Amino acid sequence: MTDMISFPDVVNWAVPFFIAAVLAELLWIVIRGRGGRYETRDALTSLMLGAGNVAEGILLGFIAYGFFMVLWEITPLDLGTSLWVIALCFVLDDLRYYWVHRFGHRIRWVWASHVNHHSSQHYNLTTALRQTWTGTFTFMMIVRAPLILLGFHPAMVLFVGGLNLIYQFWIHTEAIGRMPRWFEAVMNTPSHHRVHHGRNPRYLDCNYAGVFIVWDKLFGTFVPELDEEKVDYGLVHNLGTFNPIRVAFHEWVGIFRDATQPGLTWRERLNYCVMPPGWSHDNSRGTSETIKARYVDAHPELAGTPGLPPRPALGPD
Amino acid sequence: MPLSILLPMVVTGIAGIVVLLHLLGLSRTATLTDEAAAERAWLREFPDDRPTRIILCQNRTAALIETEKGRGLVWPMGADTTARYLRGARITRTATGLCIALPDYTAPRIRLHLAAQEADQWPDYLKEPA
Repeated sequence: MTDMISFPDVVNWAVPFFIAAVLAELLWIVIRGRGGRYETRDALTSLMLGAGNVAEGILLGFIAYGFFMVLWEITPLDLGTSLWVIALCFVLDDLRYYWVHRFGHRIRWVWASHVNHHSSQHYNLTTALRQTWTGTFTFMMIVRAPLILLGFHPAMVLFVGGLNLIYQFWIHTEAIGRMPRWFEAVMNTPSHHRVHHGRNPRYLDCNYAGVFIVWDKLFGTFVPELDEEKVDYGLVHNLGTFNPIRVAFHEWVGIFRDATQPGLTWRERLNYCVMPPGWSHDNSRGTSETIKARYVDAHPELAGTPGLPPRPALGPD
Repeated sequence: MPLSILLPMVVTGIAGIVVLLHLLGLSRTATLTDEAAAERAWLREFPDDRPTRIILCQNRTAALIETEKGRGLVWPMGADTTARYLRGARITRTATGLCIALPDYTAPRIRLHLAAQEADQWPDYLKEPA
């Protein structure tokens, strides 16, 4: 079994490209007067969260890598490092990404890590860098276990994961409208991913793809960007701070406060950790389903249009 | 990439982008052009809680909102806005207006720049009725 394999740390090597691309997008917007928005403090927060994410990888990356190497010792399979194997690993890892990302929106424990990526009211290339500091604590590295047990070397799995992340950088822009039709059909694009960042009821919880949008079409979570409904970026309840520490940890604090409030059963405490964001024991808040249902209740003519349930699900109070 | 290269590049890159954004005039905060803009900003955060009264401050950077559920505030977050109800707020006078401390980890402190007369009046508006 091959133990000593090394792949380049592509995300770190891409940092100069990230900086150059942000500058290029900014100049494009300033010169053309369209194609997106930038704001100083928002961009600073995004960039600091990106830097913190790199630091977290350096400090805590050994936990996931150690776990993967244990699995690599266990598995009798070794698929080698041919180009075809790397390509297959890339595709399967993108399927892994789809599910981790979907869990990231549907399980509050994982959302607590991912929420900061959605916390900007802007959508530009700095938003792509607004990454988590707490990914290790979601334990989502477990979802990569099947790849390693199937015989893909851990270094290769991390390498293709890095390529996946780099691919997703360029789709965080309003400067690109739509790509050619064949490309939009197969690949994740700025248009598809703008929808994913929307806080409009119809755009909540959809388009989880990393590289290939086909996963959303396959699993029924695809919603197209509608010309008649501009995407409103940010969270359902937007933050009132640019402090990167508060942005990075606010949902963890929310979970702690909710789960430790007096008078709850143990099941309710657990549900505050694992149910979808917006769940509450007394139904005083709203999950994305509730928000969509209320919206359709107020706009019945939109029932059944992309991203919205087929008919008003809530009756009059 | 060695840390000795990565770290200076990240620091320089962030600083350069931030300075450029500021020099390009992209640090301006949002203003609420009128009561209708304040209402839209409030409804973005609380779509089910329609305002019954709106008091826009003179420099149009914030608005006090009253709804059937209580009193709240709309204020700028950079080029955008956000809003919160004011339950549990602690209000203190500052040299430039008011500081509102909320028991909310995501919006712990709101600094309002108000004219002196407004800064004297607003604490009464902001207090929840008994």
